[in-house]
Amino acid sequence: MPDLLTILNQSSTSLAAHREAAAVAGQNIANVNTPGYSRQTVNLEALTPDQLVPNGWIGRGVDVQSISQSRDAFLERQIPNAIASQSSSSTESDALAAVSALDPNAPGGLSSALSVFYSSLRAVAQNPADPASRRVAVSSATQLAQSFNRTSQAIEDARNGLDDKINGIVNEVNTDAANMASLNAQIRTARAGGAQPNDLLDARRQLQDKLTALTGAQPVMDSQGDVSMALPGGTALVSQDRAAQLSTIPDSSNRGHLSLRITRADGSGPVSLPTSAAGGAIGGAIAARDGTLGAASTSLDSLAFDFANAINGVSSAGFAQDGTSGHNVFTVGATSAGAAGQITIDATLAADPSLLAAASAAGGLPGDNTNMNAMIATEQTALAGGSDPETTFSSIVAGFGGASQRAKAMSDQDGALLDNLTNLRESASGVSLDEEMVNLTSAQRAFEAMSKVITTADSMLDTLMSLK
Amino acid sequence: MRVTDKMIFQNAAANAAKSRDRAQTAMEQVSTGMRVVHPGDDPTVAAMMVRGQQTVDRMNAISQNASRAGDEVDAADSALQSLGDVLARARELAVQMGNDSYSATDRAGAATEIDGLVQQAVTLMNTNVNGRYIFGGNKDQTAPFDTAGNYNGDTAVRQVEVAPGVLEDSSVRADVAVKGVGGGVDIFATLQSLSTALKTNNGDAIRGSLTDLTTSTTQVTTTLAHVGAMGDAFATAQTLAKSTSDATTKNVANQSEADVIESSSQLALANSALNATLTAAAQSFNLSLVNKLGG
Repeated sequence: MPDLLTILNQSSTSLAAHREAAAVAGQNIANVNTPGYSRQTVNLEALTPDQLVPNGWIGRGVDVQSISQSRDAFLERQIPNAIASQSSSSTESDALAAVSALDPNAPGGLSSALSVFYSSLRAVAQNPADPASRRVAVSSATQLAQSFNRTSQAIEDARNGLDDKINGIVNEVNTDAANMASLNAQIRTARAGGAQPNDLLDARRQLQDKLTALTGAQPVMDSQGDVSMALPGGTALVSQDRAAQLSTIPDSSNRGHLSLRITRADGSGPVSLPTSAAGGAIGGAIAARDGTLGAASTSLDSLAFDFANAINGVSSAGFAQDGTSGHNVFTVGATSAGAAGQITIDATLAADPSLLAAASAAGGLPGDNTNMNAMIATEQTALAGGSDPETTFSSIVAGFGGASQRAKAMSDQDGALLDNLTNLRESASGVSLDEEMVNLTSAQRAFEAMSKVITTADSMLDTLMSLK
Repeated sequence: MRVTDKMIFQNAAANAAKSRDRAQTAMEQVSTGMRVVHPGDDPTVAAMMVRGQQTVDRMNAISQNASRAGDEVDAADSALQSLGDVLARARELAVQMGNDSYSATDRAGAATEIDGLVQQAVTLMNTNVNGRYIFGGNKDQTAPFDTAGNYNGDTAVRQVEVAPGVLEDSSVRADVAVKGVGGGVDIFATLQSLSTALKTNNGDAIRGSLTDLTTSTTQVTTTLAHVGAMGDAFATAQTLAKSTSDATTKNVANQSEADVIESSSQLALANSALNATLTAAAQSFNLSLVNKLGG
């Protein structure tokens, strides 16, 4: 037979449990907008009975067994890859979309400079002795050289901008990796106390997502409950409670653009990190910098080099108005490296347009235009690179455009996938106010009913006391 | 699927952003009229725009050159027509003075007129267009004929592009047409010998010059036919260059420019989609148990 004091006692335990349930609902409601917050659930459990009555056992009320987080392990497993791809492709796509130097309609762009140059040569071919058309031809050659310089510079500027971005990301990664390592240590300590440190776990998951987005590093969970982060290729960025440090160093073999180095989590290094080990935003920035923009820069250099040599080859074989030969139109370096940035008009020609070699024989002066016609023919002749200048440039534009379009499509696709997964994650782990209102109300009702039990037990005690 | 409050807000934000992006793109197309601005918008069309621009510029340059060459050819044509008139007058005088009823004085007077015709022919053959002598071959900066009718030019025929890589003659060889190089007659020598025959009152020589005068006229007529053909070639080149340039411009515009009607309806569609998204979002925000549980 249960005594009335036991009823009071069990009621106080149960009241506490319902108060806790209300508090957790409150915590969930408070964090409805907190990024990375996972909904917490109170798991109530009937207390094991310890009183035997003649016909059975009577329980001791209810208690909170645990407060758990709602996570879907299947989703959590897919998300890091999706974050890394989305971050990489959107960084690349944004970087390429910002480059306008190769826009087909860009005023003063290389395309129009090239055709203006040839048009001015045609005017000279029609009347080689006319100083005015020679003057125009020389100034259009200057303009073409400058247009090469500007286009090349614009691409290099974009690449330098990506270097700055990479530096910024590296700093962020180093801070986050160090924080994550210290969170691993804190979580280990908290767990030793016996309970799940849910809010620390949320904080760690947020850092984990961020590191994945920045570097493409994937989380690796171990048996101790630590989450380490491994860069693509396996190098550890966070190893339990220690973090590696990324740094950058200019690479002279890549026009001084930055390459990555890593000081390992065990303190050794720094050693250079291959580009394949960088994913996420860093990987996307490097792909845009060295992949698409690097290729455009190199092709532009080849075009400038081959074009200048083709024109110079014809020009130096012809004769200037003063009967001398061997005059160049452009000055370009000995190799194609950096040619688009360095190409200039030949200084003596710039000073004296009569040196433009229109004649193919000294005897034909001043009206001979055959060498000028040969120079115009270079417009339709394949350069050393395999195509004529115009086709070469249009294929540079098409190549860049294709890469940019591909990056945009990848970014859209990866973005949609990530949106879908984060939506699913939010669906599993997010806070629903409707649900929490129901939980809160049910906790409130239970609390009220429990209070009723106490009042009832109290009045039963009163009744007992008043027996005389 | 379990729908949380954050999802409602995030989805509303994401959908509104997508709708806004579409509306913005449609807006840009309507206001700039261009469908392709960045190469990534459409790489194939971007490459075509580059090539198209080059083709248009090239054709315009060819058209301008053909027009300038055409001016020179027209000037050559009218100079040679006038030379034909000079020869006709010389022939008329030769026929008239060949009649021995004319006195030595009459013939001397005619000789003076022939001398004048020679100088007129020299002036005609020294025709200068825009600072260049058109009958001098490559020696176009100095007068090709001196007052005695000696030729100082060279044997070159200048050529100008009429289509990419296709060259057309833009001058005639005055040494062949006028000086008889390669089997013809020297027109100046013919006129000068007629003048000498008139001055020396030599009736046989006057009548004898008629053969050479006839050959001279034929020579000029033949050259005129050649010049006429050149003129046609340059006129055709201009027309062709113009039509190629127009066709290319149109083609590039078709591919790269936005269709105004289509983009406008896209814009209207995007705007109403945006409006619908925002309305739906605003309504979904109001639906929560929080509002229904009265205190």
